[in-house]
Amino acid sequence: MSLIKLTDVSKLYGFGDATTLALDEVSLKIEQNEFVAIMGPSGCGKSTLMNVIGLLDRPTHGKYLLSERSVARLTQSRRAKIRRDTIGFIFQSYNLLPRLTVLENVALPLAYRGMLPGKRTRLAMEMLEKVGMADRSYFYPPQLSGGQVQRVAIARALINDPRLIIADEPTGNLDSASSRLVMELLSEIHKAGNTILFVTHNPELTRYASRVVYMHDGSVIQDELTKVGEVALTALRQMYSIPEKTAEDDLAGISALMQAVPQKDLDKKPAAKKARKPRKKAVRSKQTYKPTASKARGK
Amino acid sequence: MSPTIYGNIKMAVSSLQTTKMRSFLTMLGIIIGVISVVTVVSIGEGIKQQVSQEINQLGRDMITIRPGDGIERGNGTGDTVKLFYGTAITGSLADTDVALVQKTAGVRYAVPVALVNGPIKVDDKTIGNPLVLATTEQMNGLLDEPVEYGEFFVQDDLADQPNVAIIGHNLADKLFGQRVPLGGSFEYLGQTFFVRGIMKKFDTTPLSVSTDFNDAILIPYSTAQALTNNNTQLYEILAKPQDSRQLDQTIAGVTGSLKAAHNGQQRFSVLRQDESLKVTNRILDLMTKMIAGVAAISLLVGGIGIMNVMLVSVAERTHEIGLRKALGASNRQVLAQFVTEASVLSLLGGIIGVIVSLILNFILRVSTPLTPVISWEAIVISVGASFIVGVIFGTAPALKAARKDPIEALRSH
Repeated sequence: MSLIKLTDVSKLYGFGDATTLALDEVSLKIEQNEFVAIMGPSGCGKSTLMNVIGLLDRPTHGKYLLSERSVARLTQSRRAKIRRDTIGFIFQSYNLLPRLTVLENVALPLAYRGMLPGKRTRLAMEMLEKVGMADRSYFYPPQLSGGQVQRVAIARALINDPRLIIADEPTGNLDSASSRLVMELLSEIHKAGNTILFVTHNPELTRYASRVVYMHDGSVIQDELTKVGEVALTALRQMYSIPEKTAEDDLAGISALMQAVPQKDLDKKPAAKKARKPRKKAVRSKQTYKPTASKARGK
Repeated sequence: MSPTIYGNIKMAVSSLQTTKMRSFLTMLGIIIGVISVVTVVSIGEGIKQQVSQEINQLGRDMITIRPGDGIERGNGTGDTVKLFYGTAITGSLADTDVALVQKTAGVRYAVPVALVNGPIKVDDKTIGNPLVLATTEQMNGLLDEPVEYGEFFVQDDLADQPNVAIIGHNLADKLFGQRVPLGGSFEYLGQTFFVRGIMKKFDTTPLSVSTDFNDAILIPYSTAQALTNNNTQLYEILAKPQDSRQLDQTIAGVTGSLKAAHNGQQRFSVLRQDESLKVTNRILDLMTKMIAGVAAISLLVGGIGIMNVMLVSVAERTHEIGLRKALGASNRQVLAQFVTEASVLSLLGGIIGVIVSLILNFILRVSTPLTPVISWEAIVISVGASFIVGVIFGTAPALKAARKDPIEALRSH
């Protein structure tokens, strides 16, 4: 019984020529109590995947089963309730409400549950103690450092005791010390039995994960189970195989700039640009929108 | 939902605090609306009370007979009103009518009141247009012994000294610069008059239908006739029944005998105090309603202002809305939050409006002859109306907020 089961999930944005494919038939299963790191370059669809899994966004195609139940036909309010009760969000930019105190921010999801203020405050205080922010409960978010704010955000994500925690680059805005603190915290939560999905660019942080999923251009290209405490293999390669910059690279950079200059003769386009073209995916739809493009992708 | 109401109100207040100037300007429409409604209604209410006080003082059973048909009785739906009746039309009542009224069964007093023109001189002071009323000694009884200092003139004494006067409370001060100028004298129509009495202070109102006795000079009717060569024009006949419970019958009797004397033509009006009270009230009600209606438009305009500001607020806080939805706020909860904010805005405007109008009320009381009466009804209704305006005009922006797509809202900054 998997917590999350995606089958051929696609997400398209825009219309006509401007259509972009953010998720390209992604199939993914995530079991209870996994600690999954999602990696990939910017724009590869990691965040879209997180939003679909977090019920903030609906996929254009494909099936999504959350706890074995399809979420396709759920109403907005039903989705809001599931978000409230079973999913905790942690954002890169923290997203605390600046006009509420730390305590009120943490208690906010409880308020939407209809809990009475007294109980709300008590539970929020307990949660703040767990993340080590109890002494800052009456501060306002702008008065805290990034690491502190993110710990408050984690407390808020945990307050409703969610089964799934989705963290979209939780350490993206933090220095390495704060990052470690936040990851340790997530790791503790994981040990307590929660399922955690987090997006990261930092290969080091895959140490905490039990599984690493790599994405590229909307597809999952690699999915590896790792031991907690070790950097994932692919990530390791990424870390240690960064080639040193050569004179050639400099030239390439210059030539890339040259390509950006409008060409007089359209027929004499540099070959490099042609090769890159298929990456900008248009709709790979059944209506054979651009048959050459799909051929180029080898399908 | 109830546990979040407190939180919504708190959120609303803190959000209004961060945009103080904007919120205040928005509330201004509501504030002005509430001030105008409350103030206008309380001024109207104040005048009504003054009029009814005045009438109580003169006696509710006072009957006024005036020349001309000042009030035409409509057929059932209510009386039509001619303002300034009686003042222009004189001459259709004669001295014989006074005797006629006096003789009518059930009448206790029947007093003629005639207006005499001419300036008054005291030393070198002149009052060009005083209210000089010629009347008989029965006026003493009719007004229930109005003289505070001195005494009313008696017919028997007039043979010795016909030129006596009773003066009103305000006039005493105006003419002689003292409160009790007993025995003082003034020049009137080439004669010297002596002050025999000073009347007590009558409650009067700016919109009164009755004669203002505070500024009046009463002189004997016979003296006035002698001065004007029997050419005195009757302004009105005041009468009172023996038994105030028999008012209706007495009025019917008076009307009947006068009509018979005038060959069946009714060229006079028999007015009762409660009728003139009704007339005043009707005029005041109409005016109050009209002005309050205009003020209500101001509330409406205020509501549109609130809607505008709430739309701006929703647009500004799109990200916050997205976040709240991500955290599990349902559409209804987001709706409630923004409707609460709009209602707090308008309710606050209403309360500020009430406070300002209370202050205005006090200022009016102190600095003008008006005594506005605070109408709690008007306060409750106008504050309630402003609250409802907030709810109604806050709903559209709140719906806009509630229907936002969570992910798009979350992305916007």
